[in-house]
Amino acid sequence: MKVLEGCPGSKMLDFRDQDEKEESVGKIKSQLRQWPIQMHLINPTAPYYQGADVVLTSDCVAYALGGFHRDYLKGKAIGIACPKLDHGQDVYVEKVKSWIDDAKINTLTVMIMQVPCCMGLVSLAKTALQKSERKIPIKSVVVGLNGEILQERWLST
Amino acid sequence: MSINTVKFVRNRQTDEMNEKNKMTKAMTMGYEEKLRTYEKGGWKMSENIEKKVFDIEPNPHSNDDDVEEFLNKGINEVIKQYPKVKKILEEYDIGCTICSIGTCLLKDIVKIHNLSPEREQESMASITKLFYPNKEIKISQITRKAQSPREIKYSPPIKKLVEEHVLIKRWVALIPFVVDNLDFDSEENKQVILDGVDFIRFYADQYHHAKEEKILFNYFDENLDILKVMLEDHEKARMHVRVILDAMKRGDSDEVIKHLDSYREILTEHIKKEDEILYPLIDEKLSITQIGKLFSKFKDVDQQFGDAPKKYEKFIKKLENKFKVKEEVTK
Repeated sequence: MKVLEGCPGSKMLDFRDQDEKEESVGKIKSQLRQWPIQMHLINPTAPYYQGADVVLTSDCVAYALGGFHRDYLKGKAIGIACPKLDHGQDVYVEKVKSWIDDAKINTLTVMIMQVPCCMGLVSLAKTALQKSERKIPIKSVVVGLNGEILQERWLST
Repeated sequence: MSINTVKFVRNRQTDEMNEKNKMTKAMTMGYEEKLRTYEKGGWKMSENIEKKVFDIEPNPHSNDDDVEEFLNKGINEVIKQYPKVKKILEEYDIGCTICSIGTCLLKDIVKIHNLSPEREQESMASITKLFYPNKEIKISQITRKAQSPREIKYSPPIKKLVEEHVLIKRWVALIPFVVDNLDFDSEENKQVILDGVDFIRFYADQYHHAKEEKILFNYFDENLDILKVMLEDHEKARMHVRVILDAMKRGDSDEVIKHLDSYREILTEHIKKEDEILYPLIDEKLSITQIGKLFSKFKDVDQQFGDAPKKYEKFIKKLENKFKVKEEVTK
């Protein structure tokens, strides 16, 4: 990996030198079970959120994490956002709160990249949980720039 | 020094190995030192074999390895053959040696106890040394994902059970003080015992153990050895409570003391087994969906019991003040 320049969130990195290993062949089935997925567009009380295990992920995660569909999206409902670039994130807090209180979701998995600006998504989920009447288990998953899982931990409820 | 990676450590007398495979021939060729590494399921072990070395790659699929054989034996069976293993495990606070079933594998019980990598390495070296007293066995560094040894990260519902254990441990720590001050002529002292029994029956049994027996354990096969052991402990604890109450009615203080002590011993070990072995194992096995459901079911139970658990916390606090016992010692 060649480090060229930049801040943690936007510095340029080149992964082309890394060993390329083809791990699977054939068509890979998408595990997406809904549309829309962007947090501004979703309706938090849509049927597929009712009682569901939901993954709230930063936009970049699905590109970095090779097994995202198989390992994290399968069987779950989803919402995506960019905690660095998206405007109007107050709405996101209200929608996550609505997931918890109205759609009565079972669990929330917050997936972020390792870059510092992504931490905002975890804070957003914590704020929503604090504002909610119901409590649910929330797990945070941090994905490395090379697509490895750096950390998985439960947030205190 | 050359390093060959094999599936597991082999440690054989040269003549035995000669009969087994090509690797044995290589071992007799007289090199100065040979380091072999074993890696399987998180274990990394290596062995220094003096004056021997391999010329060829060892067969990684060999099945005739004694170390692996012992690692894959139930703990009671290993102890039966090598009684000193019991003492070594106890030195590392691994209490599985007293288990009445003892079918958990040696390799699993060492791994699950979350020793620091250094202590795990040390314990395995001591145990392996028992199997091969005449050989120098070196266990190479054990790598773990976890950063902090002995720090167990529980899922939210399991964490709740661990938190409930804290109050039970505080009561258990008070039992010696209660026993020392037991005076059947004093109504106040008798009431302390009755209140303690009430705490056991309501908080420890109806509230906490019921969460385990009616909800948590239902996620698993009831024939699992580890669950049988836990249920057996619950039953033993209930039996002691019944005997204590009978003895109270008869005014038999010796019997009360005897069974309070037995209860304390059982619960101390039981909580340790659950916190350090069963719960981490359960967290590993449960899916995120199951963890969410479990959390929700525990919340329902908490709602049913309302403020009652707080009442029992006040009772424990009051006793701690009475006997000047610090709450922190039991956490």
